[in-house]
Amino acid sequence: MIANYLPLIVDGLADAALIFFVAVGLTLVFSVVRILNVAHGSFYAFGAYLSVVIGTIFAGRGWPLLSLTALVISPLLVALAFGPLIERTLLRWTYGRPEALQILVTFGLFLVLEDLQKLVFGVQPYSQDLPMQLLGTSRIGGIVYLNYQLLLIVLALVVGVSLRLLLKKSRIGKSISAVVADEELARTIGIDAPRVFMLAFSVGVFLAALGGALASPTIGVAPGLGAEIIVLAFAVAAIGGLGQIEGAALASILIGFTRVAAIYFAPEFQPVVPYLVMVAVLIVRPYGLFGSIGLRRI
Amino acid sequence: MTRLKIAATALLLAGAFGSAAAQTNKPADIGFGIFTFTSGPAAAYGMPGRNAAELVIKQINASGGIGGVPVKPIYVDEGQGSAGVIAEFRRLASDSTNEVMIAALSSANCLALAPVAEQLQMPTFMWNCDTHQLFLKDRYKYVYRTNSSTVPEFIADVLYLLSVKPDFKKVAIIDPDYAFGRDAGLIFKETLKALKPDAEIVVELYPKLGSPSYNTEISRLVSAEPDVIFSNFWGADLENFVRQAAPRELFTRSTVILALGESALQHVGTVLPDGVIVGVIGDGYWLTPDAQRKPQTKAFVESYRQSFNEYPVFPSFKMANTLYAVKAVYEKAIATNKGRWPTRDDLVAAAKDLKVDTLTGTLVLREDNDGLVDQIVGVTKKDPAYPFPVMGEMVRYPATMVTPPVGADPIAWIKDLKPAIMASVPKPGSYK
Repeated sequence: MIANYLPLIVDGLADAALIFFVAVGLTLVFSVVRILNVAHGSFYAFGAYLSVVIGTIFAGRGWPLLSLTALVISPLLVALAFGPLIERTLLRWTYGRPEALQILVTFGLFLVLEDLQKLVFGVQPYSQDLPMQLLGTSRIGGIVYLNYQLLLIVLALVVGVSLRLLLKKSRIGKSISAVVADEELARTIGIDAPRVFMLAFSVGVFLAALGGALASPTIGVAPGLGAEIIVLAFAVAAIGGLGQIEGAALASILIGFTRVAAIYFAPEFQPVVPYLVMVAVLIVRPYGLFGSIGLRRI
Repeated sequence: MTRLKIAATALLLAGAFGSAAAQTNKPADIGFGIFTFTSGPAAAYGMPGRNAAELVIKQINASGGIGGVPVKPIYVDEGQGSAGVIAEFRRLASDSTNEVMIAALSSANCLALAPVAEQLQMPTFMWNCDTHQLFLKDRYKYVYRTNSSTVPEFIADVLYLLSVKPDFKKVAIIDPDYAFGRDAGLIFKETLKALKPDAEIVVELYPKLGSPSYNTEISRLVSAEPDVIFSNFWGADLENFVRQAAPRELFTRSTVILALGESALQHVGTVLPDGVIVGVIGDGYWLTPDAQRKPQTKAFVESYRQSFNEYPVFPSFKMANTLYAVKAVYEKAIATNKGRWPTRDDLVAAAKDLKVDTLTGTLVLREDNDGLVDQIVGVTKKDPAYPFPVMGEMVRYPATMVTPPVGADPIAWIKDLKPAIMASVPKPGSYK
């Protein structure tokens, strides 16, 4: 019996994994700097493009195995290039200003980054599936899956647990949690809040770019990628409760499974299913599954 | 006195030249608005069209232009969306130096532009508008289709399938979710119902056009265990689908029809096994016996390969053939006008019932402004001469065999098809 549903479970988890990387970055940034970053999807797109370009260079030089490292190198480069720069210049100026203004600023940033992406990478589609080919395939429930898809599920789990451990156990994580709980009090006990903001934003950028890089071997990379993922990430963040890592994880799984179930049983509903789920959750719990009105925590 | 003579001579000459100019009224150049995708996922299909346009226009201008006037192309990117495309069309049409529009690639854009072309009285030659809905309800004076429609294109796929695999039962469909994909699904299903009534559609999927990933759809297709899978994906969608589906054994478990498959063979074809049914939606394949026999086509193929480091694909031929058809329209109109430069009305009148020898066959523009083009279908086949699979076991279905006659409702015509037609269709491999 369970064998009949195995493909659905594997597909659902693989879909959820890719959504999770982006959504958890978005929710981390929101919980720390309190800005809903519309440009978050652009970092996803940059991560995907850069990963394909670096992977292609490695493959072209006869180092196919090194193309796997491109999946990590590219998000690091994106985070280093954009994270501190954008937080120090653009975002810092918006702190404490009306939310509408913050959204407009990040929307403007999104438009600039979309054009920058076209300037750097052009408008033609890119692809590099070598990492996918290198890892081979497995048969589950009579269906051949890419081992790369299964690896994504494991990686999402690793990233989720690592992030939670980082926030709970490490000094910097505790500083982030303190700033999230009460920024003023955190400053009085000597925590460098501006540095925490920059770091948290850069980690958010890294997670978005990691999502793009990890998705790139299984997808076509073309203009519009960032806009598509950010809408989905917003839905996930809203379902989970803005600023909640566990909420983002649960919401990603919920969205992943409902999207896959729609493709299996009612394909015509697949494009709207994430938003139907979002509406249903928000009607019952207006602050999302893990969100609350008063308490600020991560 | 001498000054008076010079002045009189100048006046006479001015009069003579003025009269000649008024008689022929030739412009300095002819503006062609050329619409295709040069950005986004659809550019994988649109750029070969644009590349072909550049080559053909260069060749036309090098040989003296059209009626002695050089062609000036103005390229419009359909990647900006329908609203932008319509605005660009209106802007170009308002400039009298732009005499013809070659538009468009996307079926959705074609359906949006046709009434605009009619309203602006702008001669428009639809180079890649395959949707049968184009002339379904409305009659146009200024709009012509210089290629075939979805009806003959997908009927040909079914005929080929029935020839090579008559004993299938379960069928799955995966097409992009817009006019072209939905039309293809409908035509494929209706043709199957008419010619193979016992076939059962087990899965029908219409993912979003431009979707980056099809992994779940591939699982769904495999889990349904269909004997046959039909798809009219194109551009980057087609390449992504092939790249994602091949390692998951989709192409070895079922007989797959990629209706526009030839356009992806050079990029991702190496992952395809032999025997995948591929079409060219028309007759524009560079390795057909006809294309190989024509020196002009061989020269075009070689020039394309040298310029763009790959062979032309069928969208290249659709564009090239359209441009040669428009050139033929001009030449007919100029001849009818006894040398006077044609007006927009003269051009659309000349296009009626035109028969043109193209690079890959013959194009007939019927009285209903629709194009008649033969259909070529084949299967993937490895060839040591090329680093990608080519089309083998080709069939050339005559246009009149697979195209509904003028005035017929296309879907009603399909429903009237009888299985007995299979006795008269050309067999796989017969096109030599």
